[in-house]
Amino acid sequence: MTISRRLAVAGLAASLVLSAGQAFAQAPKEIRIDFATYNPVSLVLKDSGILEKALAADGITVRWVQSAGSNKALEFLNAGSLDFGSTAGAAALIGKINGNPIKSIYVYSRPEWTALVTGAKSEITKVSDLKGKRVAVTRGTDPHIFLVRALAEAKLTEKDVKLVLLQHADGRLALERGDVDAWAGLDPLMAAAEVESGAKLFHRKAADNTWGVLNVREAFAKDNPALVRKVLAAYEEARAYALANPAELKKTLVAYTKLSDAVIERQLSRTELSHSTIGQAQADTIVAAGLALQEAGVLPATTNVKAVVDDLLDRRFAVTN
Amino acid sequence: MSALGIETAGLGEQGGPARPRPRRRGLALAGFALPVVLAVLWEVAVRTGVANGRLMPPPSVVGATLWSLAASGELFTHAAATLWRVAAGFALGAAAGTLLGAITGALPVARGLIDPTLQALRAIPSIAWVPLFILWLGIFEASKVALIAVGVFFPVYLGVAAAIQGIDRKIVEVGRVFRLGRLAMARRVLLPAILPAWITALRSGLGLGFMFVVAAEIMGASEGLGYLLVDGQQLGRPDTIIAAIISFAVLGKLADGLLVALTRPVLAWQDTARDKL
Repeated sequence: MTISRRLAVAGLAASLVLSAGQAFAQAPKEIRIDFATYNPVSLVLKDSGILEKALAADGITVRWVQSAGSNKALEFLNAGSLDFGSTAGAAALIGKINGNPIKSIYVYSRPEWTALVTGAKSEITKVSDLKGKRVAVTRGTDPHIFLVRALAEAKLTEKDVKLVLLQHADGRLALERGDVDAWAGLDPLMAAAEVESGAKLFHRKAADNTWGVLNVREAFAKDNPALVRKVLAAYEEARAYALANPAELKKTLVAYTKLSDAVIERQLSRTELSHSTIGQAQADTIVAAGLALQEAGVLPATTNVKAVVDDLLDRRFAVTN
Repeated sequence: MSALGIETAGLGEQGGPARPRPRRRGLALAGFALPVVLAVLWEVAVRTGVANGRLMPPPSVVGATLWSLAASGELFTHAAATLWRVAAGFALGAAAGTLLGAITGALPVARGLIDPTLQALRAIPSIAWVPLFILWLGIFEASKVALIAVGVFFPVYLGVAAAIQGIDRKIVEVGRVFRLGRLAMARRVLLPAILPAWITALRSGLGLGFMFVVAAEIMGASEGLGYLLVDGQQLGRPDTIIAAIISFAVLGKLADGLLVALTRPVLAWQDTARDKL
């Protein structure tokens, strides 16, 4: 009696495990993808319903998750809560080095989205003025990487300033309240601080912005290469639409960010959407950022940055345009 | 009660809880068995590749992270910042809680006036204060200490007020029999009577203080164990997060131990069945 009952339980458990395994091997019922105010194409894609239409035939639904920064997108990818996440190129590198199993597969923008920002009345005019000052930053994002490189050029390190770890939006508030002396900003919040409160971008360097890239979980890409292609095709369609309809793009951004037209105009004026294929240009920028971070001690000295970047970028899914 | 000079039968045994010691020490060590076995199992599972330690790093990795943080002096800076905030918030919250608790506990008028408001405020989850405190006090020390003080205040207030209201009528009557004046009554009867409950309230207040320091430091800090926690989160490094959690646990336990040790002398008169049950 007891034995047969145990057998039954064991059999039930085994069948459950087996069926779970089968479900895992099958195509997913739902794709989780992020949208973010720093990724205009994602907003257009979300609004247009292109992706939903493309996946409807396979009976797959789309779940949209908002990312408040590269760090959040990477966190969600790491936990398996996102299949596709938008980050900065070098932010994805930091994630990859810290063990996040992702591949960068697509370029959604070439932005100058970060700079070092200070309040309207601040006396800070150059990076070396930051010594001993409080700087709001979100670690593991492009603004953080930008800050570290700017400090290094001024012969300073992270230890010479007081980092205050805040998510981008909170960083902007802290700057405007005067809680911090400077902020490593991110568009469109940076444009908002500029336009609405007269914040000054006292250090800009477009070349140190490391592209907006779309990442996929390695396991997801391995199991569902066809789905990845479909998602990228939808992204391409949305990007083309955004390029062809700048007024619509602006309207979409205004609706999502609840920021003014002037702010979004400022953001879009420094966001180029004319790239999409991930390749050598991205690899070079990301390697340069990685080496700079390594020199500054943010990345371990033992890491082979070039090898990790090669592993990070996955050009299989490159869309020809 | 010893203050009243009444010798009780139990007092004589106070000096001699030495006999059951060895067995209790063995039991205390037994408490380590479960976590150690679990840690070793996890280490083995990761080493042999059964599990990959990506999201839950094995003890050796966490240990290495802790060690490197300690060696660079960072851990000390962060722990000191956190301890300072808890100490300041605890001092403020405990003082205010004790004072108001004593007033509302002892004076029915004050109870009728103040207690309903405080009870209503107590119903607000203290984390809900965070956005307001940021607006009012900024993101630095003032708002952090205030948040911790709010967290500490309520358990202490509640504990003191309840203890005063719960004083046994019989011992008060004994005091009256001895014709104690008001001051002597407070010092020799009322104060000793509420001490155990007060200290328990302080301990739970301190525990909440550590809970709130995490919330306070997550809302933006440039040092502190909460900073370490957020740093690990933003960089996607679970080993740093676990290192911060372990540091919190160790600090919390040490602070509680310190509080117990500091207050033990004032409770020495208690005649309890602690060692006999």
